[in-house]
Amino acid sequence: MPVYFDNNATTRLDPRVLEAMLPYLSGPYGNASSLHRFGRVARDAVETARAQIAALVGAQPGEVIWTSGGTEANNLAIKGVTDHATPSRVLYGVTEHPAVMETAESLKARGWDVEPIAVSHDGVILWDEFAAQLRLAPVKLVALMRANNETGVIQDVSDAATLVHGARAWLHVDAVQAAGKMPLDFSELGCDLMSLSSHKIYGPKGIGALIVSSEVELSPLHHGGAQERGLRGGTENVAAIVGFGVAADLAAQELVERSAHALALRERLEAGLREISGIEIFGAAAPQRLANTLQFALHGYDGEALLMQLDRKGIAVSSGSACASGRGEPSHVLIGMGIAPDVAKGAIRVSFGKDNTEAEVAQFLSALQAVAQSR
Amino acid sequence: MIYLDHAATTPLATEVLQAMLPWLQEGYGNPASEHAHGLRARAAVERARAQVAELIGASPEEMVWTSGATESNNLAIKGALEFRGLRNAHLVTSRIEHKAVLDTCRHLETQGARVTYLQPDASGRIAAEQVLQALTPETALVSLMWVNNEIGTINEVETLAPLLRERGILFHVDAVQAVGKLPIDLAKTPIDLLSVSAHKIYGPKGIGALFVRKRPRARLAPQIHGGGHEQGMRSGTLPTHQIAGLGEAFHLVGLSMAADAQRLTVLRDDLWQRLQVLPQIHLNGEGAPRAPHILNVSFEGAEGESLRAMLGDVAVSSGSACSSATREPSFVLRALGRDDELAGSSLRFSLGRNTAAEEIEQAAARVIEAVSWLRALSPLSGEPSVPHLAATANGGNTFAYADPIWQRFSAPEHAGALMGEGVLSAEAGSPAAKSLLRLQLRMEQGAVTEAAFRAYGCPTAIAVGEWLAAGLVGQKPAEWPQLTASRIRQALEIPDDRAHCALMGEDVVQALAKQV
Repeated sequence: MPVYFDNNATTRLDPRVLEAMLPYLSGPYGNASSLHRFGRVARDAVETARAQIAALVGAQPGEVIWTSGGTEANNLAIKGVTDHATPSRVLYGVTEHPAVMETAESLKARGWDVEPIAVSHDGVILWDEFAAQLRLAPVKLVALMRANNETGVIQDVSDAATLVHGARAWLHVDAVQAAGKMPLDFSELGCDLMSLSSHKIYGPKGIGALIVSSEVELSPLHHGGAQERGLRGGTENVAAIVGFGVAADLAAQELVERSAHALALRERLEAGLREISGIEIFGAAAPQRLANTLQFALHGYDGEALLMQLDRKGIAVSSGSACASGRGEPSHVLIGMGIAPDVAKGAIRVSFGKDNTEAEVAQFLSALQAVAQSR
Repeated sequence: MIYLDHAATTPLATEVLQAMLPWLQEGYGNPASEHAHGLRARAAVERARAQVAELIGASPEEMVWTSGATESNNLAIKGALEFRGLRNAHLVTSRIEHKAVLDTCRHLETQGARVTYLQPDASGRIAAEQVLQALTPETALVSLMWVNNEIGTINEVETLAPLLRERGILFHVDAVQAVGKLPIDLAKTPIDLLSVSAHKIYGPKGIGALFVRKRPRARLAPQIHGGGHEQGMRSGTLPTHQIAGLGEAFHLVGLSMAADAQRLTVLRDDLWQRLQVLPQIHLNGEGAPRAPHILNVSFEGAEGESLRAMLGDVAVSSGSACSSATREPSFVLRALGRDDELAGSSLRFSLGRNTAAEEIEQAAARVIEAVSWLRALSPLSGEPSVPHLAATANGGNTFAYADPIWQRFSAPEHAGALMGEGVLSAEAGSPAAKSLLRLQLRMEQGAVTEAAFRAYGCPTAIAVGEWLAAGLVGQKPAEWPQLTASRIRQALEIPDDRAHCALMGEDVVQALAKQV
């Protein structure tokens, strides 16, 4: 049986989500912005989903802005906050997703100073250094991810919020990997913006959201149309929005069960990996890691080659971010953590989903052992 | 419900849904992943790219996926200008573009670009010559829609494209309403950037594409960063099911385009023919070549909101759906020279693949009834009104007016005019809302024995007329001062933005009191 251990890249759509989407794919087809009856049905569905997303992350429905996915949400946050501001500084964690990192870097062309925030060998923000960095000069925006997509390392975002607000800057949190996998409370964390994606939580691809506190002045990324309070033009993707809403609702209901299940699988995997020589687990000493994610390297092995061998055995894992895969470069996350490039090149990321089993972990371990022995 | 709003969005074709479903089930891989799941999804994405390219005469590698045409338009215009540099940049567009283009241009103006907005001719069309005259040595980009979404007029983009190419000016075309309606061949037409959408041609919402020419290469600054998908022009995980659906939609529309165009033209012309039993109506875009699926008509003397409210069972658009939430009169119709009021009394009928001849017949009958009734009710219309104007058919309270308003608007019992001796008559209006209420009373022995009203205005204005006429019967003038605006608002549950209707009611009662 094929084994899918790449749930941080994308998840399989939950059949319950598909069922909720189907009426909006084949039934009432109004443009949600039209005023006639079909449009009203669509609008009600969009607003129900907005409340479901808000409930998952402890936000108000009015703070939810639909986007085409996590990448657009991150772009909207970073460009939206800086667009009409006088250029100063933007800081981002060195292990951020490319959607945050590259977007922040693009601001250099607009006159902004853009600086990475250093992390420890285990991928955790170096808080003292960060605090000092904040004091150096005025800062407009800090972007930090709640949980890393490659290592699963979790950052203490509420501590960050205190520091960032002390520096009179906004805090944007990329919660694409954290949502649905750990408790998440937008208002309690004290962040100002937060990005979410549907397809990482068994919802459809092509839809995400940015949560924005009403205090933040945001410019739109896409101009045209009054949708989303003028912050995001374009006809609403109703079926996907409905699917995202239901996926969020299910994630909230099943959160405890899903993370306990993932943790059991990860512990089984870690125990098995310890029996293979030359294994290094990244972020292992971080105080908190996502239950479903484990990234490791098999010393002396090229990650991409290993991936292909596992793929041939029907096992899907990844070397890191799917977005950056195929480039043959070592992961910027691991390099940022101070991992040597030749070790980083051997990285394999296993990310569990709610439907994976212990038997699949065993299957993966024996496949890996076979590959390791054939060296 | 008769659905004649296909220019806003279309139902998903069954074949398209079938093409999407595998990617919502087993085919869940991320197209950027390097394992079997990813590769399968990527193959589907590339198949769709070929299907889209095929329909418009492009190469697959010239198609960049976006979340829809709004994003395509943003990427084309901002991407091209930002790549060139905004300093001294000039761009030419028209006043009748979609909001996605106009708002983007306005944004660029705040960033230092200069924009010329061309005015259409009386038929609603932008001519090639007009564009050429607007060019300056700094002009970096011309952005023009192929087919206007509100009135269906076809601009001279095919004539214009080679002329702009000769001059080395980038040409972006918003082809959202042209795809599947007119043949598009980018191998022959030197357009550099072209926006398309899926959900206007029976594909899914939330997906579109931008054609970006390779030779000569149109260069864009990306608008969404991170990950470097789509040759670095547009990052983000590709939604396989949406893309597969878009591909199938393009494929299908290519198969039936010629036959559809012929059939829709016949239906569209039939609709116009039928509506012409009404006097004082105007075809918007008359005289210009028009796409087969759109008919836009202005109806004099029938207030727009009431007209729409009476057509609750006919889904049409009063302007572009993207701006209807804001209830501004259509900027396209204003650009054609229609005043705000007439622009507001306009309906866009947009036909689709499944529109039947009987639906056209029924829709025409419903519109004729509604316009005739509103005109008969209006004190502004020259036609003599009858003593008791019977209520006419309506399609139900689709727009969710408060019950007390809807009941009186949809089934008034005192609409009409009183004749003969001893009739008091007064009028009051609300100039801001261009509404007018005429109330007539027959008095016998110091009390009202009969009342009637005529009104021009929104459903609330009409409901106020009915409520006053009904309430005044049996009352003596001493009781009239109780009919204040706040009393009217309370009784009819009138929302804040319609408070002027209640004031109009109070005014007319006061005017009557003076005549006693």
